[in-house]
Amino acid sequence: MTDPYKVLGVSRSANDDEIKDAYRKLAKKYHPDQYADSPLKELADEKMKEINEAYDTITAQRKGGQYGYNGAQNSVHYNNGSGFSDVRSLIMSGRIADAEQILNGVPGDRRNAEWYFLKGSVLYRRGWLEEAKDHFSTACQMEPGNGEYSAALNQAMSQRGGMYGGDNPNQSMNAGGAIPVICVLVC
Amino acid sequence: MFGYVRPYTSELLVREYAQYKAVYCQLCRVLGQEYGPLARFALSYDCAFYALLALSVSSAQIEEQRRRCVCNPLKACTYLPSPGEEYKKAAALCVLLTYHKLRDDLDDSGFFRSLGSRLLLLNASPKAKKAKARYPFLARQAEQAMLAQRQAEDSQAGVDQCAEPTAKLLEAVFSELAGCDGRQRPALERFGYFLGRWIYLMDAADDLQDDLREGSFNPFIARFGLTGKTSLTEEERAQAEAACNASLNATASQLVLALNLLDLDGFGPIVENIAAKGLPQIQKEILFLHVKEKPRRELKGL
Repeated sequence: MTDPYKVLGVSRSANDDEIKDAYRKLAKKYHPDQYADSPLKELADEKMKEINEAYDTITAQRKGGQYGYNGAQNSVHYNNGSGFSDVRSLIMSGRIADAEQILNGVPGDRRNAEWYFLKGSVLYRRGWLEEAKDHFSTACQMEPGNGEYSAALNQAMSQRGGMYGGDNPNQSMNAGGAIPVICVLVC
Repeated sequence: MFGYVRPYTSELLVREYAQYKAVYCQLCRVLGQEYGPLARFALSYDCAFYALLALSVSSAQIEEQRRRCVCNPLKACTYLPSPGEEYKKAAALCVLLTYHKLRDDLDDSGFFRSLGSRLLLLNASPKAKKAKARYPFLARQAEQAMLAQRQAEDSQAGVDQCAEPTAKLLEAVFSELAGCDGRQRPALERFGYFLGRWIYLMDAADDLQDDLREGSFNPFIARFGLTGKTSLTEEERAQAEAACNASLNATASQLVLALNLLDLDGFGPIVENIAAKGLPQIQKEILFLHVKEKPRRELKGL
């Protein structure tokens, strides 16, 4: 097994707080939630497992406390009432092209909110972030109360705000500055 | 490529900044050695970034050398040569991309406006042929990208479709860097895809005003419902730029996710600086500070 200290990027003389700090930083970096819709999910999970093991090993060695990590959530999951359960399972198993083919074959009058959500999920995984956002927002407009759809739209919108990468022009201003921009984009 | 992929120097360590410059100088030198002194004009920040990434992924051996600058004999430069193929591939990429850019300009503008490109092409064509013979994979990817780009723009496609060729180009080029290291490949590909996409979108956002004025194609024009306009009011411009920024942010956040999963040796911190801080800084400079419209002396403080 690789050296757990090396995995966490700390020296052997680091104290418990420094180790916890390094672990938390890495856990944030590989946080499974942010990779939920990404083809890199497996790799991220693997990295997460690596640092979890390293942290557990070190804490066990030092007989310190436990620091667990709550499991991931994936924004596309099985849904009993779904009219597109085949598409959902294809997306979950990473067969994006197959899922898209089925979705594209659905005639216009059967394209409901769920269709727009799933099509948006397919586009998002392909990296077509603009059209993905448009599809998520159509899904939300057609079925405003749906938590699954609004969670997908919220994620897409918050990434556009510059908190996770890119530039946030309102960073130095008060928090209210960011809201009007988002409203304009959604409407 | 377009020179948007640069480090945010004020947050680099002094040592890292020196290394960055040395890689840049070394690439300039290799370009001259392989393709003649005129090819040095093809040098770009983007290709320097490719060299940095290639050297970091392959954990290449490098040793520091101090020599005369190839352009200015009175100046001494630090170089970081490496025995591997990394610099040579980066040089080939510079030459190929410049060649296709010139070809593209030629097709886009009339006879007299394209005279400059025609002259430069006289020099660039044999160089591109040489690069193609050495690295047929890179040449094929670049050709395919240019073809797909042309098709997308001719069919007035949407933003995502238009960004796809550049994204796919970098996806393929970065994927090749993984070599036999299957573990790194998915993250490298994803990183390349979103970096290519970011570069295309940044260029489109940067050119929006010019394209409106000249009536040239720009995917953001239809996206923001600006078709038919030749100029924008202050308010319209600010709104368009905020919307471009949102698209770029969405892309950058995906890029950072892929970067998190890369194991980089050597220049890793510089690569991270460029991706996580350099790109947002360029967005800010172009979309909010409008640095290209300001005189040089005003920019000193930035």
